[in-house]
Amino acid sequence: MIKRFIHQFASPKTYLFQVDKVYRYILYISLIIYSFSLTWGLLFTPEDFVQGNSYRIIYLHVPASFISQSLYAIMAIASITYLIWRVKLAAYFIIAIAPIGAMTTFIALISGSIWGIPTWGTWWQWDARITSTLILFIMYLGLISLHNSFSNYEKADKLLSWLVIVGFVNIPIIKKSVDWWSTLHQSASITLTDKPSIDPSMLYPLIGCIIGFFGLIICLVILSSKYQIFKRERKKSWVKEYV
Amino acid sequence: MKIFYLEHLKLRKKTRNWLGPILVFSLIMIAYPLTVEFLQTNLEKGFYSLLWISILLSMMLATEDIFLEDFSDGTLEQTIISNSSFPLLIAKKIFIYWLMIGVPISFLSFLFSLSLTQDFNLSLSIFPLSVVSSYIFLNLFVFGNALSLNKGSVLGAIITMPLALPVLIILGKSVIAIEFGINYVEFLLLLLGILSIIITIVPFIISYVIKAHLE
Repeated sequence: MIKRFIHQFASPKTYLFQVDKVYRYILYISLIIYSFSLTWGLLFTPEDFVQGNSYRIIYLHVPASFISQSLYAIMAIASITYLIWRVKLAAYFIIAIAPIGAMTTFIALISGSIWGIPTWGTWWQWDARITSTLILFIMYLGLISLHNSFSNYEKADKLLSWLVIVGFVNIPIIKKSVDWWSTLHQSASITLTDKPSIDPSMLYPLIGCIIGFFGLIICLVILSSKYQIFKRERKKSWVKEYV
Repeated sequence: MKIFYLEHLKLRKKTRNWLGPILVFSLIMIAYPLTVEFLQTNLEKGFYSLLWISILLSMMLATEDIFLEDFSDGTLEQTIISNSSFPLLIAKKIFIYWLMIGVPISFLSFLFSLSLTQDFNLSLSIFPLSVVSSYIFLNLFVFGNALSLNKGSVLGAIITMPLALPVLIILGKSVIAIEFGINYVEFLLLLLGILSIIITIVPFIISYVIKAHLE
């Protein structure tokens, strides 16, 4: 049953017709969650006793940096799926996600720099976390330029998939950089195994912001993947039927 | 052994390909003291950063058209359809490049370091670091070149450069450890660990990438 569902959904045609049904729900729910959590975080949480109000940028910075890494992980899964099972939709997803990943990484870097001025007294430091995130940003740009340099989409998809898989090595480096090197960044405040070190009054709106932001990014990925389908499958009759 | 000899012969005949990167490396090292005031402290300050970046750039230059000739004259296609192991051939090719370009550059690194710092022990510690890092860089740039096989070497360099940056970070940390008299061997072992993973996996990935190009 599940296998059949995955098999059917992996077809660009089914995906295109089905995704519209859920797109609006994801968009509205994410918008509500993000707006609510952002308002809660910006207006109703207490001031930090060290950083004052400047810490409130976490409601943008943390979701952006978390999602920039998650998107790369999703791309890596899509790459493996494409290389092993030759699922066309997976290849469309890889190139659909790359510009969005670059955008979220850029937001993470910029918001981090803005946060750095009042907190660290500098907008940039070549510490391990910032440098590895910058590497991720350059990786995203490299992926886009590699794909654009080929006119043969199938070849471009294969090469891109290999590069995504090799580049995945950077993700654990970003994640563990705060533990492996002495950096300006603190260790992770929220982990799966330990109790969060962040106060619940700040934690709940942050979790809401991450979920809401993730939902909004999923909407962007859906739009971008639809663009890829239109671009690649434009000659198919069902695309004309859809349009 | 025959492949080793053939690859060695092919590279030796293309003097520009193996001598070019070594000369560029030497020129950067010679030019460096001219750009700073001749005070020992000033000279030593940025020397190692420049050394690692020069090794990185030289390896990038060395791999500029590593597969281009074989790709144009059909040798790659022939090798793939023949019974010989394609990943093994790639691994041997990279090894020859490292032997003819990476090792001499590492030896020159030791000499330049010795001439600049006058510190034999420090320079001796630099040698294994440059030997290992040059092999890692070479593998990464060969991967980049395989990805952008007939699209120019700049694209390949851009897309693989981020992968080389963690190695640069480790090299930077190693020099600090050496200068402070801390045990730097841990960093060397870390680099060797990275190298062992890379030399096992990268030839296979490169072979798949080249096959994708030829399909």
